[in-house]
Amino acid sequence: MSIEATEERHALGHRMKRKEDPRFLQGQGRYVDDIAMPGMLFAAIARSPYPHATIKNIDISEAMKVPGVKAVITGKDLEAAGLGWLPTFHGYDKQMVLAIGKVLFQYQEVAAVFAETRGAAEDGAEAVQVEYEPLPVVADPFTSRKDEVILRPDREQKTNHIYHWEVGDKDGTARALESSAKRVSQRIWFQRCHPAPLEPCGCVAHFDAMGRLQFYVTSQAPHVYRTALALVTGIPEDKIHVVSPDIGGGFGNKVPVYPGYVCAIVGALKLGRPVKWIETRTENLTSTGFARDYHMDVELGADRNGRLTALRVSTAADHGAFDAAADPTKYPAGMFGVVTGSYDIPVAHAEVDAYFTNKAPGGIAYRCSFRVTEASYAIERAMDVLADELGLDAVELRRRNFIKKEQFPYPSALGFTYDSGDYHQTLDKALEMIGYQDLLKEQAEKRARGELMGIGISTFTEVVGAGPSKHFDILGIKMFDSAEIRIHPTGAGFVRAGTKSQGQGHETTWAQIVAEELGLDPQTIMVEEGDTDTAPYGLGTYASRSTPVAGAAIAVAARRVREKARKIAAHLLEVGEADVEWKDYKFQVKGVPAKTVTMKEVAFAAYTNPGPNEPGLEATNYYDPPNMTFPYGTYIAVVDIDRETGEVKVRRFLAVDDCGTVINPLVVEGQIHGGLTEGFAIAFMQEIQYDRDGNNLNTNFTDYLVPTSLETPHWETGNTVTPSPHHPIGAKGVGESPNVGSPAAFVNAVVDALAPLGVRHIEMPVTREKVWRAIQGGNVA
Amino acid sequence: MNLQYNGQEQIPADPATVWTFVKDPDQVGHCLPDLLELTVHDATHFDAVVRVGVGPVRGKFKFKFELQPDEAARRMNMKIAGGGFGSAVDLTAGAEILPAADAGKTILNWNGTAVMRGPVAAVGGRVLDAQAQKVIAQTFGNVRERLTA
Repeated sequence: MSIEATEERHALGHRMKRKEDPRFLQGQGRYVDDIAMPGMLFAAIARSPYPHATIKNIDISEAMKVPGVKAVITGKDLEAAGLGWLPTFHGYDKQMVLAIGKVLFQYQEVAAVFAETRGAAEDGAEAVQVEYEPLPVVADPFTSRKDEVILRPDREQKTNHIYHWEVGDKDGTARALESSAKRVSQRIWFQRCHPAPLEPCGCVAHFDAMGRLQFYVTSQAPHVYRTALALVTGIPEDKIHVVSPDIGGGFGNKVPVYPGYVCAIVGALKLGRPVKWIETRTENLTSTGFARDYHMDVELGADRNGRLTALRVSTAADHGAFDAAADPTKYPAGMFGVVTGSYDIPVAHAEVDAYFTNKAPGGIAYRCSFRVTEASYAIERAMDVLADELGLDAVELRRRNFIKKEQFPYPSALGFTYDSGDYHQTLDKALEMIGYQDLLKEQAEKRARGELMGIGISTFTEVVGAGPSKHFDILGIKMFDSAEIRIHPTGAGFVRAGTKSQGQGHETTWAQIVAEELGLDPQTIMVEEGDTDTAPYGLGTYASRSTPVAGAAIAVAARRVREKARKIAAHLLEVGEADVEWKDYKFQVKGVPAKTVTMKEVAFAAYTNPGPNEPGLEATNYYDPPNMTFPYGTYIAVVDIDRETGEVKVRRFLAVDDCGTVINPLVVEGQIHGGLTEGFAIAFMQEIQYDRDGNNLNTNFTDYLVPTSLETPHWETGNTVTPSPHHPIGAKGVGESPNVGSPAAFVNAVVDALAPLGVRHIEMPVTREKVWRAIQGGNVA
Repeated sequence: MNLQYNGQEQIPADPATVWTFVKDPDQVGHCLPDLLELTVHDATHFDAVVRVGVGPVRGKFKFKFELQPDEAARRMNMKIAGGGFGSAVDLTAGAEILPAADAGKTILNWNGTAVMRGPVAAVGGRVLDAQAQKVIAQTFGNVRERLTA
C-alpha cells in the first residue's frame, strides 16, 4: 500500500517523479571527484597505525624522493602557520588537523602529501617515516572515566570526562521510581556505527587569479563551511566560495569539517595549484564522523495497571579522541531529551556523561536529528522490557501510555513541546494493515510447535527541524534557514535555498512547494542549492531540518511573491488590491469568478506592464521556526528465527508514518525505504568495533556491511496526516523517521521471538552468532 | 592484536656455532623469509625490508632489529619494530641456546610476542595466525639451511 496522493491539490501531495533522477540514472551527476582542473595536484594522507602514541620523529625525506611528490606537510608546519587545530562544530573542543606531538586514534591524520598523480601521492604517504612510542590505550568510556590515563593533556581540565549534561527532575524521578509498583532497568548499548555514504568525503581547493578560494566539497552545510574556513584560516569570507556539487549520500557524515579539507587548502595555497583530496573507503570508515556509541541505563516505573510513573536514563557516551559531535551549541547531547518518546510520563530525568577514548572522533547524527535515534531506541526497547515484566502485550502497554491527541501541544517532562499527533490513530491503522490479531494467533500456534516467531513494535516520536533561534546555533550561527524565489517573465522561475540535497529530492519537493503556493508548473521551477555565491545563507541539510525550516522559508518566500503579484494583478484587473483574492490558484476579483489573471500572466506583466508597482517578481525569506516538529510513526516487524543457525528472517515490515503534510508521496516513500534499509543494517549488521588495543576492526565493506537488495526485506508503508500547526504548510520532515524508529522494531521482534527461551534483551547488531548464543542460553547482552 | 608463540627447534650444529650465528646480524637477517633488503648498522642493529602478504594486505614492510645478547645465559633477545601500508608491528623475541642430547646438536628454546596494529590486524586478522606460523617455520628452516650449508 502506498501513501495516497491528494488529487484536489495543485502540486502538493502529487506523486511527481523526481526531477533530478534522469541526471543521476544516466550517470550525469557531477560529484566532487568529477572535477578536474588544469595543473591539479592530488593529496594523500599518512595516517597513524597506533591508537595512542607519542610521535618521536617524522622523516619526510623518503616521501619527497617519490617521483611526482611536490610537498609534504606535518602538524608542526600547520601549527607554525596557526592552522594546527580546528574548532569542532559546537565549539567546546578543537581537533588536530595533522597530529602534533602525539596521535590519539588509529588512522589519525599525521602528514599530507601533494603530488602530480593520486598514485604518487599515495606512494609518498606510504614513504613518510614516523617514529612512534606507544602509549596505553583507552578503548571504552568505562576505562576512560577512571582517569588513569589522561588522553588530552592539551586541555585545561586534566580529565577524560568531557561534559555532564542533564535534564528533568532528578529527585522527583527517584521518588517516583522508588514508589512504583513495577520497575524495570536495562543497560542498552547503541553501538558505534558509521553512516558510510557510498561517495566518501573529498574536496578540490583552488585559489583563482583573483586570490579567491574556490572550494568544491562534499558538504551538507556549505555556508557553515565558508564561515568556519574564514574563522580558521583568516581568509576574508568574501574571498571564499564554497560549492557542494551533487552529493552521493551524507547521512550526517558530511556535516563536520575534516582535516583533509584543511590540508587541501593549505596545499593549494603553498603550491599555487589546485589540489584534490578524495578519501578512500577505509579513510571514511576509520576517521570521519561516526554515530551513536551510547551506553544507556534505562529505568522505567509503572503502576499495577501499566501506567508509566517515571523514566530515568543515565548514559555514558564514547566521543573518541576529540569532542567532534555535531550538536547545536547548547545541546551537547543533542535532542536526547526526547527519550520520553510518545508517552505521557509524569516525571523523568536524563543525563549524559561523555568521555574521550582512543577512537575516531565524531558523534554525528546518522540519519537522525541529534541523538534522537539513541533516545528512541532506548525508550522503545525499555517499553518492551516493561511489557514483559508486567505480562502485558507490548501494544497494549503503549496504547495505555500514549500522549492523547487532545493533549497537544504537549509539554514533555524533559522540556519539549510536542506540536501535534494522533498516536492512537496511527497505531490502529498499522495494526489493521499488518493484521496484528492474525499474527498473534499464528505466533501462538508456532510457539506451541517450538518455532521462533517474533512481532516487534516501535511507536516512536522524533524531534526535528532545528531550530528556533532562541535555543539553537552552531558556532554561534542561529539555525534558521532561507529561500530566495525569482519568477521569470514567462512564469518559469527558480528557488534557491540554504539547504543541500544529498539524495533527499529537494529539486522536486522545493519546486512543488513553490508551484503550490504560486499556481505554477513545478516542472518549470528550477531548484539550486549548495553554491554560497548564489544561495541565501542557510545552515544546511541534516537532522531532518530541510522541510521543517527551509521548506517553511520557501513557502513564506512564495507567499511574499504572491503578495507582490497581487498588487500587479490588481493593476491588470483594474481594481483595488483589496478586491483581489487568490482562489483556485489564480487571482480573481472578489465575487466575479470570470475576472481572473493567472500567475503566469502576472509574471509577464511584472516585467512588461507592472503599472505603479516596482518591476520584477522575487522574494527572500529567512525562516526562524517557532518550534521543532515532531514526526512519529508505528513500525511493526515480523521475524522468523532458525533455531539451528540463529538466522533471522524479516518476513514483514510495515512503517506507518505521520510526517504531517506530505509534499510528494513518492519522495516520502523513497525516503522511508532508504531509512528502513539503513535501520535494518544497523539492527543486524553494522558496528565499528575496536579491540581492546584500539584497533579498528571494521575498515572496509567486507567487515562493515551495507545491505544489498538480496538482504533487504520488502518494505510496506502507510501513513496518517497530522499537520504541524506551526509550519506554513503543516509539514514535519520524514527522511530520518525510518532510521530512528526501525532499529527498536527489529530488535523487539527478535527478543519477542526468543522470549519463550527467557531472553529479555539482545544487543545490536543482532548477528546470527548472538542469536545462536541466545538460543543456547548464553550471554548476549 | 597480540600474538604469542613459543617452541623448540633442534639445530644440526653445536651450541657454540649456533650462538655465534645468532649474534651475527648478517646471518640472522638473511634467515628472514622474503627478504628484499638488509642493512647492517653495527653488531647489534640492522634494518630489513621484507615482502609481506597477509590476506589482502600486501607490500613491503620495513623493520628495525635490535639484538640483545646475554653471553652468560647464552640467550638472545630481540626487539623488532616496523611495518608498512599503514600497519605497525612490534615484536619481542627470545631464544635460549642449549646443548641437545645428541652431541654436536643444539636445542633452541624460543618465544615471541607480536603486537599488530592497523590493516594488518584488522583486515589480515583472520589469516594472521596461519601466516605467522608460516613465517616462523620458514625462518627456522633458513637457520638450519645456513648452518648446515
